[in-house]
Amino acid sequence: MDHLTLEFCLTKLNLSSDDNPANHPAPTLSGSSKLWVGSFQAMASDCEILMEGLDETQASRLLSIAVKETWRIEHKFSRYVSGNIIDRINRSAGSMLELDAETASLINFSEQCYQLSDGLFDISSGVLRKVWRFDGSDAVPDDEQIHHVMQKVGWDKVSWQAPFLTLEPEMELDFGGIGKEYAVDRLVLALQSEIEALAKSDPNLKSAFVANFGGDLACSGARLDGTPWVIGVESSEHNQTSVATVSLSHGAVATSGDSRRYLQKNGIRYSHILNPLTGESIIDAPHAISVAAPNCMQAGMLSTFAMLHGAQAEEFLEAQTLEHWVQR
Amino acid sequence: MQLINRKKSGVRKIKKIAPALAAASCSLLSVASSDVLARGEAGTWDFEVASLFYSEADDRVMAAEPVFSASKTFEDGEVLNLKAVFDTLTGASPNGATPSAAPQTFTKPSGNGTYAIAAGDAPIDDTFQDTRVALSASWLAPINRDWEYNAAFYGSKEYDYLSIGTSGGLKRYLNSKNTALNFGLSFSFDNIEPEGDIAKPLVEMAHLGTSDSFDSTRDGSSDSKTIIDALFGVTQVINRNTIMQFNYSLSLSDGYLTDPFKILSVIDETAGANFGGNLLDGNGNNIYLHEARPDSRMKHSLYWQTKYALSNGDVIDGSYRFMLDDWGINSHTFDFRYRWQLGSSYLEPHLRYYMQSEADFYKRYITETEYLAGNLQEATADYRLGDLDGMTVGLKYGHKLDNDTEFNMRVEYYLQTSAGDEGFGLLKDQDLYPDTRALIFQIGYSF
Amino acid sequence: MRFLRLAFVIVLGSIVLSACSELGVKPWERDVLARPEMQLIHDPVEAGLDDHIYFSKEASSGGRGFGGGGCGCN
Repeated sequence: MDHLTLEFCLTKLNLSSDDNPANHPAPTLSGSSKLWVGSFQAMASDCEILMEGLDETQASRLLSIAVKETWRIEHKFSRYVSGNIIDRINRSAGSMLELDAETASLINFSEQCYQLSDGLFDISSGVLRKVWRFDGSDAVPDDEQIHHVMQKVGWDKVSWQAPFLTLEPEMELDFGGIGKEYAVDRLVLALQSEIEALAKSDPNLKSAFVANFGGDLACSGARLDGTPWVIGVESSEHNQTSVATVSLSHGAVATSGDSRRYLQKNGIRYSHILNPLTGESIIDAPHAISVAAPNCMQAGMLSTFAMLHGAQAEEFLEAQTLEHWVQR
Repeated sequence: MQLINRKKSGVRKIKKIAPALAAASCSLLSVASSDVLARGEAGTWDFEVASLFYSEADDRVMAAEPVFSASKTFEDGEVLNLKAVFDTLTGASPNGATPSAAPQTFTKPSGNGTYAIAAGDAPIDDTFQDTRVALSASWLAPINRDWEYNAAFYGSKEYDYLSIGTSGGLKRYLNSKNTALNFGLSFSFDNIEPEGDIAKPLVEMAHLGTSDSFDSTRDGSSDSKTIIDALFGVTQVINRNTIMQFNYSLSLSDGYLTDPFKILSVIDETAGANFGGNLLDGNGNNIYLHEARPDSRMKHSLYWQTKYALSNGDVIDGSYRFMLDDWGINSHTFDFRYRWQLGSSYLEPHLRYYMQSEADFYKRYITETEYLAGNLQEATADYRLGDLDGMTVGLKYGHKLDNDTEFNMRVEYYLQTSAGDEGFGLLKDQDLYPDTRALIFQIGYSF
Repeated sequence: MRFLRLAFVIVLGSIVLSACSELGVKPWERDVLARPEMQLIHDPVEAGLDDHIYFSKEASSGGRGFGGGGCGCN
């Protein structure tokens, strides 16, 4: 069993510096034709694509497609990139913007989630981070600070008539809650269509892959031998070693957790998940919730919604009749 | 001291949302990455294909004209458009002569034969069977926030006609893009090489099979003209629902502006049996003269258009154009459309009314006196330069299949009526100004 | 005489246009005007076909922009 770690420079992987605006380190591809592991950095996570049944050329092609698409989505929707659509939205100061079709469809999805969650999921709640800084300290904001920033929070204050968006001045939108899951689902589609294209010239091609973006996973199906992918999921207690594992043979799993971002004061752990209706941190939320669903966006939304239910998280998840794991 | 007990969010009613969420996420993802770019989005091609069918009553002109247009918008707002138009024309066109109580024989413009017109029939020449191909490319690009430029190239070819041209323009935005000032200049060069060569101005038509010499009526195998157009316009947003445009255009044509296929009848003024009939030459054949037009033309146009959106989404579009030229023609064009939105479809009735006055050198026929005096410089009996009114009534139907795809079709009826000098003697018994009636049908698909 | 009348129209037009600087909408009020059916020339292919018909049947042409050159039909 040879384990070759091949560090590809960007050009070898058919990526140019235009594809890597965030200047991430180069992706790596290691393993053998039994199992390839492609690794790269994106969206503040360690991203991995595990592939079976492909040769090196095919595996590196799939990896470069996955990386390109992820970095494209990251660059387009990241809050930290100046000049992209999110930046223009957040600096629109009350003027109307016409959005492109992809952004418009994400906004539509976010609006539906806002309605389905009765306002608990709200992409306009990003400005709450101005008063809630989750650095492990005890700097919990007081009521007045929260009240002040809540003037700029609320999807009801947003005028959305696709494709025209108008925010009130100083409001901001943040796709952080759905960006990773969206990227996972998009790249699964891209990889599946590439595999279909490869299968046209090689009808005997049988392959399987799973993508893992730091706990948000989606697979093309079970492994070639029929067994599920067994993936380690970060535990809330220990940041370094995996404790919990997830077995995935179809669909996706997404995890919401407070593992690295929280405030702790007077024995109370304030999770980084904030209630957009009150501006407060969710109390009594589990440490981590993982939900399995047919696609990553769905799994991600459900795990987020479950977290927002705080003490009622398990009750909420039971009602959805989807497989889930809760860590308290 | 801060309170430790925060407001309890209370017990929530648990809802089963997984199915609705599944549907929402599937619909978000079902849009494939490449489809995610809609019409006009940077990086995609937008296409439009359409075909026009035009048919006049009384065996006159019939044309089929398919068009293919492709546009691409680039990252910084530049737009490239490529267009190909094919035009096949068959059928007959009035040759300018007057109908007569006796049958008439005309020499084909190519000189390769003759064609006969029965007594009382409108003299129409059906020797046209023409196919034309036209290609154009245009480019539009912003210079900066306030300025935009455009450039275009054009070429078209029929078997006897070539036209090439180029145009360029600048647009300046003012008042937060509520006002746009437009300047455009275009230059065109046309060359005609008719099959029977160019006829001398006002020369007598040679009758084949007689002592007439066809070649002596000819003067060169081809001729050309150049046209320069300038346009100054203002587009102004009036309010949230209304936009207007005012344009002034100037057009200068220079060169061979005559229609080499048109003639005029010479009418006998001698009292007697043939008063008002065709004047005969020494061989007993009708005398016809080839037409001649001035070698320059200057046109001024003023154009005003308004588009108004009603609160229910319907759109009213009205325009008026006034044209004045140094040939003595002036015209008024009124155009009105009402787009009636019906969900993802629409119905659009259309009304157009056109009136023009005749050119100074327009003459339905030439009298014997004028012919014998021989000092006519220009004359034309082409009804299209005469006093005429045109009315178009049409209906268009369109259906949007999705954001980028639309199918549409329209049917229009065009009625043109002419008026003028009714003639004298025998000529008065003829219908000198028959109506032109045409049916227009167009289908289109954009994707 | 004709040209005097024309000059009058142009001067009047310019006065009207200079008053236009007071008209307009804010950028966020452009939703209706952004609709494709509110473009001045909504369907350039159809406009080109119509221009061709009327150019070959009448003495006037153009006025709203540059069409696309000539043909042997007028």
